[in-house]
Amino acid sequence: MSDREPSTVVTRAQRGEVDAIGALYDQHQEAIFRYLWARLGERQAAEDLTGDVFMRMIGALPNYRPSAPFRAWLYRIARNLLIDHYRRHAQSPLPLTHAEVRTAEADPITLAEHTLTIERLHRALAQLEEAQREVVALRFLSGLSLQETAAALDKTEAAIKALQHRGLAALRGLLMEEPVQS
Amino acid sequence: MTNPSDGLQAALTRLEAGEPLEAVTATLPAEDAELLKLASAMRATQSPRAAGAVRAQRQTLLRSAQAQRPALPSARPAWVLPVAISGAFIAVAFAAFLSLAALGALWWWNSRGGDPVAQNPTRVATSTPIAAAPSNPREATLNAARGLVEVQAGDGTWATASGGAVVEARQRVRTGALSSVTLAFYDGSRARLGPNSEIAVDTLDAQRSGARVIQLTQVSGDSDHDVAKSAEANSVYEVNTPSGAGRAKGTQFHVSVTALAIRFDVSEGAVDVSNVNVTVVVIAGHSTVVVIGQPPAPPLPRFSGEGEVQEINEAAWRIAGQTVLVNAGTLILGQPQVGDRVLFEGRLQPDGSKIADRLTLLSRRLTNTFRFIGTVEAIGAEAWTISGRTVRVDAATVIEPGIAVSDTVEASGEVAADGALVATRLDRLEPELEPFSLTGVVQSIAATAWSVSGVTVTVEVSTTIEAGIVVSDVVEVQGVVLADGTRLARSIAKLADGVVGEFEFTGIVISLDPWNVSGVPLATDDDTEIDDGLRIGNRVRVEGRVLADGAYLATAIERVDNGARHAIQFTARVQSIEPWVVGGVTVTVDSKTKIDDDIELGDWVTVKGNLLPDGAVIAKKITRVEAGPGCTSLTAIVVAINGNTLTLSDGQTLTLDDSIEVTGQLSLASVVIVQMCVGEDGGVMVIAIIVIFQLDELPPTPTPAPTATPLPTLTALPPPPSTGGSYDIRGNGETLTLTCTGHTVTIRGNNNRVTLLGACASVTVRGNNNWVSVQSATSITNTGNNNTVQGP
Repeated sequence: MSDREPSTVVTRAQRGEVDAIGALYDQHQEAIFRYLWARLGERQAAEDLTGDVFMRMIGALPNYRPSAPFRAWLYRIARNLLIDHYRRHAQSPLPLTHAEVRTAEADPITLAEHTLTIERLHRALAQLEEAQREVVALRFLSGLSLQETAAALDKTEAAIKALQHRGLAALRGLLMEEPVQS
Repeated sequence: MTNPSDGLQAALTRLEAGEPLEAVTATLPAEDAELLKLASAMRATQSPRAAGAVRAQRQTLLRSAQAQRPALPSARPAWVLPVAISGAFIAVAFAAFLSLAALGALWWWNSRGGDPVAQNPTRVATSTPIAAAPSNPREATLNAARGLVEVQAGDGTWATASGGAVVEARQRVRTGALSSVTLAFYDGSRARLGPNSEIAVDTLDAQRSGARVIQLTQVSGDSDHDVAKSAEANSVYEVNTPSGAGRAKGTQFHVSVTALAIRFDVSEGAVDVSNVNVTVVVIAGHSTVVVIGQPPAPPLPRFSGEGEVQEINEAAWRIAGQTVLVNAGTLILGQPQVGDRVLFEGRLQPDGSKIADRLTLLSRRLTNTFRFIGTVEAIGAEAWTISGRTVRVDAATVIEPGIAVSDTVEASGEVAADGALVATRLDRLEPELEPFSLTGVVQSIAATAWSVSGVTVTVEVSTTIEAGIVVSDVVEVQGVVLADGTRLARSIAKLADGVVGEFEFTGIVISLDPWNVSGVPLATDDDTEIDDGLRIGNRVRVEGRVLADGAYLATAIERVDNGARHAIQFTARVQSIEPWVVGGVTVTVDSKTKIDDDIELGDWVTVKGNLLPDGAVIAKKITRVEAGPGCTSLTAIVVAINGNTLTLSDGQTLTLDDSIEVTGQLSLASVVIVQMCVGEDGGVMVIAIIVIFQLDELPPTPTPAPTATPLPTLTALPPPPSTGGSYDIRGNGETLTLTCTGHTVTIRGNNNRVTLLGACASVTVRGNNNWVSVQSATSITNTGNNNTVQGP
């Protein structure tokens, strides 16, 4: 997936062309939903918030500057809505349980041999530190590039690299801990 | 030693480049290999959304986009921005309105982040500056400043302000003609001032959390408000006016203050409008009017549209197939006449009639016009040859003195029925110097340079400057672009406020998105013709019109090359296709000619091309010009469905067929936006119906508007814009009857027959071959040629 949306689609959407807005929705809705589900832990809330992201996108499109990666810009909207959501519901962004990281020596069975279901993944993700969870969700559930993730979170690429490494390690440890349900 | 984070990222990059997982993991330490497998497995996980939910969400999104969409596809005339309504809100608010109960908690997404363009129905892509945000709740930042923006200092004096300036409570902000500015508040709320507007910041504590308090007083003009949602019940966003106040929570609304009445238009959420201890709740898609000393009128649904003025009568105009009522409360901008295109906005009365609140001139009637730059090859008493093309001249042609053979000239005029080019002007151009003209508001005046709507023009001793011009006047500047890019003004003339401003200049492309040519930021829209392949650094000619808020909307951006000096452009009706004959002129097309789809005989088109040495016209582009009568949109509720026949709450009955595009599930009690256009036969065609919400049940019949706020009806034809205003007649060949009530009248066009009734102030005739009858005037000046002026 490219870092940049074909500029013509975004430009057309900025001009209010409904087809182009539909194309942007088609292109990004699944990934936005995956990110929001991972962050919220609630499927229905993620569904609702996904719609809000694109509604917000329509209003904000005139202010989008093509010099910035479109996906990063879109994820900033999603992230801002998440923060609003947390404020509205007066809840912290998922339990901040510190993961007890177990590394490779804990289990010889590789994760590839497990069936990694989205439910298992979300249970494990919920136990990650927030910053790690955010980076892991953007990088590996939504498919953002390193640069896009850095732009979306307003962090350096070096910081994203470190967070994704620690996040994956912690996540792996948590998945190893959890019994695989047949 | 490689950092583990870098090593993992390097492996991920290889994976993302398409390298097989096994190949990448084979080169990694065991631990990193496991992490890579996890990353890969995560990306492979499925979290499919229910197809039905996705479809529904997509449909809702597109419906919202459609409801906000300002323009139809190019095959159809431009739409006015339809009313955007929150369906969820309507369900609550409409019921509350009818039952006079208090409104419950309302919410709606903050959907319209871009700056609306005042008095212009076409959404344009503007060069939006990066908005500066205020640093604390007690400040507001001025953003997107255009034209003349001033802030009142503590000592009461006014000083010019630019984008990024900060205002606080007890300060005022005002704008001049062709000007606008946005006040950005700390909580995200925004207030945008249109041209000739003034607003006072009374109280300002725009907290993001906790109670937000923003209290403004609008003294004059127009403003748009985008109020951020606040969870605090005590939050206040209030706009006071000389008559009535509006209070809002998380909504979007417009306030218009004129000497006669104040209007509140709500596009999202709800606004409580109060006066003389009476409060009405105005919900999305509705408006109320407040007359001084009287309670607010019951809110009514809004309508808006754009189209050709077909008829002007005493109390009603026919526009785009619609009859709209005018009265003393109707604001008429730009003195539109029959044949001109206008934007019309107003309210739908319970009986289905439409009251116009504002009529804004968008463009003058199309005429068969041409313009080209060429070399004079022969000069005759009745005809000249310019770059191989015969151009007729007559007594009405204004010819710059001293033009000789081999001079470069700009010829402009009308295309006669037989295809002859009849010049109204022949102006000599300095070789290699490109002419420019622009309309703007004067921001500063100095001995050698003026600033006009952000564009610096130099003046010299030979520059003709109309006497009495001051900062804030609207002027037309004409001149040439010198080799170093300097714009040297040849003449600066004052224009009446409300005229359709235009611009044209040549410059260097500085940026493409947003467009900026030689330092002038340009707005573009779907109709802007832009030459392919333009790059930064190219030399281009830009032409367009100046919007009411001061934005320069380009209609064409074209490359200037060696052949451009023999370029020709004209607008006329298509008389033949294959071979092409436009306005009597035979036009040669080839494989490189770009021709709009769906052009038919009789359509108005603009031909751009080159003049060959033999005088033939070879077209580079033939573009259809939207000249249809126009379109309108209105909000209504479906009150009955009988087969394919719908009955709407405004009494209209519609028969659905394949030509009507229906978006959404149409049912009884659906709230819909109906978009309609006038067809070639003059009949009104419904183009689209957009369902914006489904009410649970039909609302009771609205109570008719009380007669407590009657607005007097004019007896003059057409209604003058305001006492002491001005008429600026620039058209040609028109027959006009205008009524003065202290108006200043300037006739710049040619061959007009003008009857001026009532008491005019000064009457100035500058054009040629005009016949003018004046009933009463304080002074009459005739500086043109061959005019007949019959005075009192």
